[in-house]
Amino acid sequence: MVSRRNFMSGAGAVAIGASLVSRAGAAMLPEAVTMTAAATQPPLSPPNGRPYNPVVTLNGWTLPWRMKNGVKEFHLVAEPVLREIAPGMKANLWGYNGQSPGPTIEVVEGDRVRIFVTNKLPEHTSVHWHGQRLPNGMDGVTGLTQPGIQPGKTFVYEFVAKRPGTFMYHPHADEMTQMAMGMMGFWITHPKDPSQHRADRDFCFLLNAYDIDPGSYTPKTSTMLDFNLWTFNSRAFPGIDPMVCSQGDRVRIRVGNLTMTNHPIHLHGHEFVVAGTDGGWTPPASRWPEVTTDIAVGQMRAIEFDATELGDWAFHCHKSHHTMNAMGHEVPTMIGVDQRDVLAKINQLVPDYMAMGETGGAMGEMEMPLPDNTLPMMTGSGPFGGIEMGGMFTTVKVRKGLARNDYKDPGWYRHPAGTVAYEWKGSDASMPAAARAPDAGGMAARPGEKVLKVIKPGSQDKH
Amino acid sequence: MIFTLTTRRAIRAAAVLLPLVLAGCASLSQDGGYSPVQSLVKERSGQDIQWVKSEDDAAGVADTIAPLLAKPLSVDDAVKIALLNNKGLQASYSGLGIAEADLVQAGRVANPSLSFGRLRRGDDIEIDRSLMLPVMSLLTMPFASKIERRRFEQAQLRAAGDALAVADETRHAYFSALAAQETVKYMEQVKVAAEAGAELARKMAAAGNWSKLEQAREQSFHADATVQLARAAQAQVAEREKLTRLLGLWSKQAAFQLPERLPDLPKAPQEIGDIEMQAMQNRLDIMMAKRELSGLAGSLGLTKATRFVNILDVGLMHNNYNQGPSRENGYSIQLEIPLFDWGGARVAKAEALYMEAVNRSAQLAVNARSEVRQAYAAYRSSYEIARHYRDEIVPLKKRISDEQMLRYNGMLIGVFTLLADAREQARSVNGAIEALRDFWIADSALKMAQTGRSSTAADSKPGASIVAAAD
Ligand SMILES: [Cu+2]
Repeated sequence: MVSRRNFMSGAGAVAIGASLVSRAGAAMLPEAVTMTAAATQPPLSPPNGRPYNPVVTLNGWTLPWRMKNGVKEFHLVAEPVLREIAPGMKANLWGYNGQSPGPTIEVVEGDRVRIFVTNKLPEHTSVHWHGQRLPNGMDGVTGLTQPGIQPGKTFVYEFVAKRPGTFMYHPHADEMTQMAMGMMGFWITHPKDPSQHRADRDFCFLLNAYDIDPGSYTPKTSTMLDFNLWTFNSRAFPGIDPMVCSQGDRVRIRVGNLTMTNHPIHLHGHEFVVAGTDGGWTPPASRWPEVTTDIAVGQMRAIEFDATELGDWAFHCHKSHHTMNAMGHEVPTMIGVDQRDVLAKINQLVPDYMAMGETGGAMGEMEMPLPDNTLPMMTGSGPFGGIEMGGMFTTVKVRKGLARNDYKDPGWYRHPAGTVAYEWKGSDASMPAAARAPDAGGMAARPGEKVLKVIKPGSQDKH
Repeated sequence: MIFTLTTRRAIRAAAVLLPLVLAGCASLSQDGGYSPVQSLVKERSGQDIQWVKSEDDAAGVADTIAPLLAKPLSVDDAVKIALLNNKGLQASYSGLGIAEADLVQAGRVANPSLSFGRLRRGDDIEIDRSLMLPVMSLLTMPFASKIERRRFEQAQLRAAGDALAVADETRHAYFSALAAQETVKYMEQVKVAAEAGAELARKMAAAGNWSKLEQAREQSFHADATVQLARAAQAQVAEREKLTRLLGLWSKQAAFQLPERLPDLPKAPQEIGDIEMQAMQNRLDIMMAKRELSGLAGSLGLTKATRFVNILDVGLMHNNYNQGPSRENGYSIQLEIPLFDWGGARVAKAEALYMEAVNRSAQLAVNARSEVRQAYAAYRSSYEIARHYRDEIVPLKKRISDEQMLRYNGMLIGVFTLLADAREQARSVNGAIEALRDFWIADSALKMAQTGRSSTAADSKPGASIVAAAD
C-alpha cells in the first residue's frame, strides 16, 4: 500500500507522480509517499534517526521520511482524495498523500524537521503545526506568518520539535472549507528517552465530522453544527478498526478533536487517566481516574489504562447522535402512533411504504434499500445481533497473550460460561417483586392536560 | 324581387327592357343544395353530415347515434354525433333552404298584386293604393338570379363552415371534459394523501408527539385538498355539460360515458409541407372571399355596361350589428331613368367597392396564412410540452418519490414528507393530463385553421375581414 518506490534513495532522482513539481526541484524533494487503503497500517519502526516506540494510527498510517544531513525530511502533498468512510460509502475529500486524514508524522524530541508541502488543491493552502513551539514564521497562518501556498507550489517548513507530546496539523487557510473537506493529520513528538512515558500500545486518531447528504459524495462545506457523519479518522462504525490489546498491556489512546463540538469519549470496562493534554504530559500525581473524558474543540488528550479485563469493550463518544450515521433531523416521533388504519390509505399512494417507529427507533433485522452511498443509521452486527451503533464507535479488544506487534482483529470475544446476561426462565412467582413508586402513573401529565399556568408579570395588578 | 312603381310612366319605361330578360329559370333541387355541403365537410373532416328534414331522417340519426352512446365515446364518435345531432347546425342547414328558395324565387316572375291602405291621423285620412306588376321582375331577373346564385353558393360554404366549427368545438369540449374527469381522479388521490396525513396528525397529537400547531398544519392541507377536489368536480360537470350541449343530447342520452384516459400522444408530431398554400386552397372562408370577389367583379362589369342598373348596394347592405343575433344581409336592384346622371360617379363607386373588397380579401389571406402558421406553432409547442411532461417531468417526480422512499427507509425523512411528495407527484400527473389535453385541442385548432375558418378572435375585431360580413 505504501509506495516506497525510490524511497530513501538519497539524492538520487526521485521521480514521483507529482507533475506539478519541476524536474530540477524533484531531484531535491523527498518522495511523496501515498496510501490507498483505509485499513489500520502496522506501526512504522524508525529505520534511522533517534529510536522511539511508534504509534498505531487507527485506520491510518505513518508518513515515512528521509534523513538528509541530520534533518528529517517529510513530503506532504495536499490533494483531493477518495476516502472510504465505511464499506459501502465513499467520500470526495481533501487530504494529504492519498488519504484523509493525512499520515501521522512521528518525530523525536530535539529532531530538526523539514516538511515539504506541495499544494495540489485548486486553491491556496498552508499547514499550521497545532501545539508546537516553533519560529513564528513556521506557524502556517496565511496572511499572518506566510503567504498562502498557491496551487502547484511547494513550501518548506523547518523547525526543531522541541516539546514531546501529542499534536495535530491542519490548514490555517480557508479553514472552514478545508477542514470540512478533511484536511488534517496527527503529529507525535516522542520523548528523547524511549523508556519515558512508555506504553505497550499507543493508538491515535482524530475526531472529525462531515455533512454528506445521503446519496451524495462531497461534504457540505458550510455546515457548522448539523453534521450527519461523526468519525474517528474519517471513518464511521462499522468501518472503524478495533483497538486490539494484549491482557495486561499499558494502553495509550491519543485523541485530537478537529470537529466543531466537544466529544465525551467513553471507555467500557476500565478506568483510565488523562495522561497528556495539549500542553504536554500531566504529572502522575495530578491524574484522576475517569471512564469518560470530554475532549473540547481543538484539544488533544492522551488517555492511559491497563488493559486488565478480557473482552470486547465499547469505546465511543457519549453523544448518542454521534454514534448514529446519517439520520434525518426532522423525522417526526412516531412512538405510540398506531398506523394500521392509515396504512392502506398511504399504500394507495406510496405502495412500498412500511410503518416504522411506532415502538421506537430500532429497526431490528429489517433490511431496506437506501439511497446510494448512504450508511445505514445504526449498523454493525456483533455475535448477539445488531450493535445499533454508527459513527464514533469502536471496540477495545483485550485478549490473552498477544504478541507485541499483533494488531490483527482477533474476532468476537468468547465469553466463559455463566458470564453473559441471560433470560429469566423461572416463574413469575419466583421472581422478586419490582419496587414501584407510591404514586407511579398518577403524576404524569397527559396530552392536553394543563401543566403550567403562566402568569405574566404586570398582568394582575397595574402599576 | 318585386319593384314598387307609382307612376305609369315608369312602367312604360321599364317595358322597353322587357325583351332582354327571361333567361334560365331555376327550380328547387332534390336535396336543397345540400350534397355539395356534405362533400365539402367530408373532404375536410372525414365525417358525414345529415340534414334532418323528416321523421325518417330523425329516426336514422337516432339509430346511428344509439350504438355510439352505448360504449365509452371516442373523439371521432363525439364529432359524428355532434354533426348529426347538433340542433344549431340543423338551423344553419335551414338557412341553406332559405337561400335556395330565394334563388328559385329570383328566377320566377312574381304574381301581380294590389294593395290598399287606409290610415287615419286625427281628422286626416290617408288612403294608399298601389298596384304591383311583375313586369319589373322580368327586367331584373337576370341580375337577381346571378346574385342569388352567388348567395346560395355562399350559404353552402357557410353551412359547411358551421359544420366544421361544430366539429372543432366538439373536439375541444371532448378533450376538456375528459381531462377534467381525469383531474378529478388525481385530486381524489391528493385528497387521500391529505386525509392520511390529517389522520396520522390526529394520532400524533393524541400520543403526545405533536403540538396542536403541527396537527393544525397537517389538517389544513386536508382542508385545502377537499376544496380543490370540489372545484375539480365542479369543473368536470361544467366541461361535460358543454360537450353534452354540442352533442345535442338530453335526458338518458346525457349519461354517456367517456373513456378513462385521454388518447396517447402521437409518436411524432405531424410534419406539414406548405401549410399556407394548403390553407389557401382548402379554407372555406378563403373560398367564400374568392366568390364574393368574382361576384363584385361581375357587378362592376355590369355597372360599367349598363350604368343605370344600380346593384351596388349588394356590398353595402351587409350590415353588421353589434347587438342582436344576426346581421342584415341582402341587396336591392334599382332601375333608373338616365335623365340627369349618366352614371359616371356610380362606376367610380363600383370600382372603389371592388378595390375595397380586393384589399379585404388580401387581408383575409394574409391573416389566414398567419393563423395557420400560428396554429401549427401552437400544435408543435403543445406537443413538445406534453412530451416533456410525459418523458421528463412525470418520470422525474416518480424518481423523486422513489428516492424519498429510500430516504424514508433510512429514517432520513418521515412519513409526512412522503405524503407531501405523493401529493406533488399526483399534481405532476395532473399537469401532464392538462398538457395532453392542450395538445389535442391544438391539434383540432390546426385542422380548423387549415380547412375551416378563423376560429380565433380575429372576427371579433372591427373591420377584420370582408368575410366576416359576407358569411
Ligand atoms: Cu461526539
